[in-house]
Amino acid sequence: MTELILQALFSGVLIGSVYALVALGLALAFGAMRIINLAHGELVLLAAYMAYLVESRTGLEPYAAIPLALAVVSAVSIALFMLVNMIRDHRELNSLILTFAIGIILTNAILLAFASDMRTTTSAFLQDAVSFGDVYAMRGEIIAFALSLVLMGLLWWWLKASWYGRAVRAVSSNRGAAMLMGINPTRIETVSFLVAGALASFAGVALYTMSVVQPAVGHALTVKAFIITVLAGVGSIPGVFLGAVLLGVTEALTVTLASSALQELAGMVLFLMVLFLMPNGLFGARARRG
Amino acid sequence: MLALDGVTVRFGGLLALSNITFTVEKGEILGLVGPNGAGKTTLFNCISGLVRARGRIGFEGKDMTRLPLHRRARSGIGRTFQIPQPMHHLTVRENLTVAQVFGAGRKDPARIAEILDVMELSHKADADAASALALQELKRLEIAKALATEPRLLLLDEVLAGLESNAKRSFMLKLRELHALFGLTIVIVEHDIETISNLCTRAVVLNFGQLIADGTPAEVFSNPAVVESYTGTAHA
Amino acid sequence: MSDTASSRLLSGRSLAMAGGLVVVGLLPLAAGASPYMLGLLISSLILAGLGLSWALLGNLGGMVSFGHAAFFGVGSYASALLAAKLGVPVLLAIPLAGGVATLSSLAMLPALRLSGPYFALAILAYAQIFRILATEASWLTGGAAGLQRFPGLPTVFGFNFAERHGSYVLVLGMVVLCALIYVVIRRSYVGIALRAIAESEDATRVVGVNSTLLKTWMLMLSAFIAGMFGALNAHIIGFLEPDYAFSGIWSVMPIIGAVFGGYRSVIGPVFGAVVIYMFDQVIAKSLIPVGHQILLGIVLAGMVLLAPNGLAGLVGRIFSRTGGKHHARA
Ligand SMILES: Nc1ncnc2c1ncn2[C@@H]1O[C@H](COP(=O)(O)OP(=O)(O)O)[C@@H](O)[C@H]1O
Ligand SMILES: [Mg+2]
Repeated sequence: MTELILQALFSGVLIGSVYALVALGLALAFGAMRIINLAHGELVLLAAYMAYLVESRTGLEPYAAIPLALAVVSAVSIALFMLVNMIRDHRELNSLILTFAIGIILTNAILLAFASDMRTTTSAFLQDAVSFGDVYAMRGEIIAFALSLVLMGLLWWWLKASWYGRAVRAVSSNRGAAMLMGINPTRIETVSFLVAGALASFAGVALYTMSVVQPAVGHALTVKAFIITVLAGVGSIPGVFLGAVLLGVTEALTVTLASSALQELAGMVLFLMVLFLMPNGLFGARARRG
Repeated sequence: MLALDGVTVRFGGLLALSNITFTVEKGEILGLVGPNGAGKTTLFNCISGLVRARGRIGFEGKDMTRLPLHRRARSGIGRTFQIPQPMHHLTVRENLTVAQVFGAGRKDPARIAEILDVMELSHKADADAASALALQELKRLEIAKALATEPRLLLLDEVLAGLESNAKRSFMLKLRELHALFGLTIVIVEHDIETISNLCTRAVVLNFGQLIADGTPAEVFSNPAVVESYTGTAHA
Repeated sequence: MSDTASSRLLSGRSLAMAGGLVVVGLLPLAAGASPYMLGLLISSLILAGLGLSWALLGNLGGMVSFGHAAFFGVGSYASALLAAKLGVPVLLAIPLAGGVATLSSLAMLPALRLSGPYFALAILAYAQIFRILATEASWLTGGAAGLQRFPGLPTVFGFNFAERHGSYVLVLGMVVLCALIYVVIRRSYVGIALRAIAESEDATRVVGVNSTLLKTWMLMLSAFIAGMFGALNAHIIGFLEPDYAFSGIWSVMPIIGAVFGGYRSVIGPVFGAVVIYMFDQVIAKSLIPVGHQILLGIVLAGMVLLAPNGLAGLVGRIFSRTGGKHHARA
């Protein structure tokens, strides 16, 4: 039993790190524009299918698809950004509906292009089991975990040290003041969407190497990412990482201790509990009251 | 009529109101004075229930401290916002009707007509959405809306600000008229010493969330602490 | 409070609207629509009722829901179980099921304090939770295998509601009734106050409006209507399983329909749901058998960008230009 629980904790942490990448993209776009991009999960999904495309057509390792995924997802992300920018009034509500619609379009486009079958990597290298004492993982999971940590580190450094990163933070905390400092918010928003798209690209490819994807997964990923940002409260990178790991672990433990049918239930209940009982999230403060 | 006892508000590290204790007598017009950021609006927010405070707020002998916003309005406390907040999509008359139906619990078109008349808004009553009004009209709508709830205590937040001196004088007369016509007790936030001296029988002064003086306008404005707080920030 | 409301309700426009709905609604019968066509129209009217319930919450309560499937599913299971296990007459079970959906909405009261996207996704979470609970509580619901033996719509005074024409008239009547209820509320002071809350909550509360209470009523009423249409649908289809009854379709289609038709008006969600559903089933499906929802997504996105007030808004704009007439304020 203990081994099973340990194994669940371990797997939860590994998948949680990829959830964190997804959630960080969502949070970045939210920070810049105050809109929840309900098509964010579909961007991740798109990248996963680019990995499938490259692997099935060329026989290369899925990670070879990164450049293609980056190009495609960034293009879609920018198109999405431009569409959202066309909204004039009732921005909050209309951007929700618009990005939701784009999510429907992307899901069905993927369905049309790749059918509804479940896909996952066929790479023997990535599917090899690696053992750490009593717990096991696929090599793909370990690589994805390491990649996520590196990307989070890079993102942290970028937000902290680069001019763009600081401008992004300035725009998210106070748009008016940022404009007074000579920051062009539209340019910053564009950059935020690009970076969110880049994170989604890596997350999608990583997801393909460690888990199964199908068109409906996009929507589920958006919801997971949203849950994580609620858990994390303030948009700090360690907070999002912890929230994501918490979600991953909760799901994995539910599957181990109860049943896989309840996996989603656990995430949702966790979400509602935090939403109602801890208005500031687990690790910080952000107003979400009307 | 209104009794504040140890009212204290913190916003994070900022002590916005510190242990404020004073009472307002029935029928009074009380001036609430203090430099920007002193906590005057916050005090109104506490009394009307928008901001939760420590301490005790009593109104007509009843404890209001735990009452939600809308219950306080129904108990007879009306207020205006420094930055007018009309119900944007509604007409002026609908604004007042909602205030009357929910705040006073009855429907009396004649009284609304009277309020519109007193506040010189009759000509705009049904014309357009309230958000289309000019700023001074919006400020009059703020007062009209509060009056429609049939308050006994009226909290006015800088309603005279931005008026040139003639308009200010006639608006002061208007406030006197309201005071008599509706039998009101009024607390008014105002910066201008002369206005306070003319309008009010008593003034209390806030500075950095502290109550630093309480007395007749003449007493208060000759108080060295008040003079310093004013000259300290007025020219900043 | 209700005196002016009902007198204004009786003033021509809303009754004319109701009459118009009935006439337009009866046209397919007069034209002798095929049973297949009537079946499609019945489904579209179910979505129209659901769309009304969604728009009522969104427009009057200022709350966007992404989880109306929760109420729809609870209503369908409640009615089927009441009729099958307790022998409640179906026509009574349907409003009772609305009541059960209302009860289930009480679990969502904490969500009323949340703003915008948080509310939308909290409701979505409820819909998922309800679906999983319906799957797990197999002793009651039959679990994933579904529920098949429960009564259909009855025959009353020789009028057979179970047959296509009868079902159609019943569903149409329910839609018109709900539209009228919506109109009455919208014009009442409660409705006016709710519109004010959506834009300026503090300003409205400070004049004595208990915004939480009014929003609670709207949530409960919205759940009631959605639950009733879920119940109607269950008895018409005669089969339930959790993945169907709580399907995301019931959350998504009303949104698309309402946005297409114009969710700020009463007629918009009804009209929009019918047009969108027929478009999806008749045109989109024949063009793209699998993945036809892509066209719905395109329509939805296009509508938000080009005509955010929907068809009703477009029509209103044309009216106000040509007739110089004031169209209904948002
Ligand atoms: N909701 C709030 N959150 C944080 N700080 C606030 C809030 N409201 C007011 N403050 C702060 O409290 C202090 C008092 O503000 P206020 O009552 O508006 O002053 P006044 O009306 O006297 O000019 C100011 O420093 C202001 O920035
Ligand atoms: Mg102030």
